[in-house]
Amino acid sequence: MEQKPKPYMNPYLAGFLLGLVLLAAIFITGRGLGASGAVKSVVIETIGSISPKYANNHPFYASFFAEGDGRPMKNWLVYLTLGMLGGAFFSGFMSGRAGFSVDKGPRISNYVRLGFAVAGGFLFGIGSQFGRGCTSGAALSGMANLSAAGFITMMAIFGTGYVVAYFFRKLWIQ
Amino acid sequence: MGPLIPQGFVNPDLNLFFAFVIGLGFGYVLEQAGFSTSRKLAGVFYGYDFVVLRVFFTAAITAALGLLIFSYIGWVDYSMIYINPTFLWSAIVGGAIMGVGFILGGFCPGTSLVAAVIGKIDAMLFIVGMMGGIFVFGQFYDTFEPLYNGSALGGIFVYDSLGMSRDWFVFFLVVIALLAFIITRKIEDKVNGLKSEAGLFHPSYTAPFALMFGLAILILILPESPKAKWYETNAQTLLEEASSGKQYIDAEEVTYKLLHPREMDFMLVDVRPQADFLRFSLPGSVNIPLEKILDKSSKNLLADADNRIVFYSFGSTAADQAWLLTRRSGIENSMVLKDGLNGLFAGVFEYESDSLVNNEMSQFRDRFFVKAGEIFEQGGAIIKTSGKPSPVRTLVDIKPPVAGKGGC
Repeated sequence: MEQKPKPYMNPYLAGFLLGLVLLAAIFITGRGLGASGAVKSVVIETIGSISPKYANNHPFYASFFAEGDGRPMKNWLVYLTLGMLGGAFFSGFMSGRAGFSVDKGPRISNYVRLGFAVAGGFLFGIGSQFGRGCTSGAALSGMANLSAAGFITMMAIFGTGYVVAYFFRKLWIQ
Repeated sequence: MGPLIPQGFVNPDLNLFFAFVIGLGFGYVLEQAGFSTSRKLAGVFYGYDFVVLRVFFTAAITAALGLLIFSYIGWVDYSMIYINPTFLWSAIVGGAIMGVGFILGGFCPGTSLVAAVIGKIDAMLFIVGMMGGIFVFGQFYDTFEPLYNGSALGGIFVYDSLGMSRDWFVFFLVVIALLAFIITRKIEDKVNGLKSEAGLFHPSYTAPFALMFGLAILILILPESPKAKWYETNAQTLLEEASSGKQYIDAEEVTYKLLHPREMDFMLVDVRPQADFLRFSLPGSVNIPLEKILDKSSKNLLADADNRIVFYSFGSTAADQAWLLTRRSGIENSMVLKDGLNGLFAGVFEYESDSLVNNEMSQFRDRFFVKAGEIFEQGGAIIKTSGKPSPVRTLVDIKPPVAGKGGC
């Protein structure tokens, strides 16, 4: 019998707890949270294992082999992400939300949704490199420590989001 | 005290363990907040669900306020925190690309990971797309490089760029967040065709909202910085320690250890001016001129010392002052060479055997001082320490600890 998923946490409480997690990260390690960094590590590690010579001479990839004893995967953000996956799975499983599904707006098919998901991911992949971090690494952590970069990136992400939202409204709303 | 790892309070090898534990909390909270569904995330752009704004803004001001309070009571050293550098146009262009990506994909990287692990297929494909994007960025790095590394402004703070004080900025940030919470609630109700509540916000939010606002006001009205930080030694303790005389170490012990480097169990710190230090110093010592004793790099060096610290100067006045100042700022295990270099050399070169006592101990002492005198005269102590002329270490040569590194 299918169990009904538990309701989500109060957003302000969740935000407060997320703030405490972020504060703990800064207090213990001196830096904030991040997510796209781990994905980058996977990409660079893969390139490195296919062609070490190419990766080590590449101006962008090479610097990631210099850290972490030559292993991009032996990286703070990678371990953070592993924990993140564990925590999220625990939460989703305990709340009865785990299971294969696709979330989408009411007017589009699954295939359209998945196609746009790939496209959105692709843009986020490029954008997070320019922004030196994504919504969590650059914007959220950057806002917490009051860096200019954090606020600029945050405003650029959400500002652009609102500007283009209208043109893609078919993806999400009636 | 904090940040713990860059300051060396926690073994850096535990860094990855902490990363994992923090990640657990991060993932748990994101999933609980509902960030594992793209429908809810995209709602912030269409007005039907502002959960992203609520969680994101609350987290940012919680952490920002927490950091300010921690730094105020001395728990966190702001200068050791990684501040992501601002590359103006790169940040704007990157943010804009991510904004479009958010609308198309319905996720950001963190939320896509959280969603993918509980089985959201759209999130898994988002991650695949993201890998493609990173790969393409790498392939065209040469083309992108001028923009990527251009208009570098360094690790600047937003309040400086706006010409505001940090406290006022945080105050306004909290006010803007609270207003945003109230306004978006109204918008959300309207979009979803619900009847808005009568008041500005639900009564159960009164207490937390008031708390946030109160903290922001507190930040504004607090004086610059408290008089004494938790790690500082109070005046009474200091007086007792100073008058006990226990901080003095005998020239004899120092001489002995200099001749037997393997038994050396303290770090010698020369507090004389650099010119004097360069002319002559005890082997293996580090030069921190008295006027630099409270500098950040000096404090880090002293706080990181594994062994005891022995301050010395010509006499003992400057060394005494150095001891007092560092002890006050919380450095423990520090000592002063009794009677300074003058005392040490007087003891060695003008040593006179006490003719009244003649036993094995005093003979040993006699032999030791004669030998020490010879070795010091020939400069042998230096050779014995390292096999080659002792390197002169000044503060400039010592790398300060690096602030935490970041990046997403």
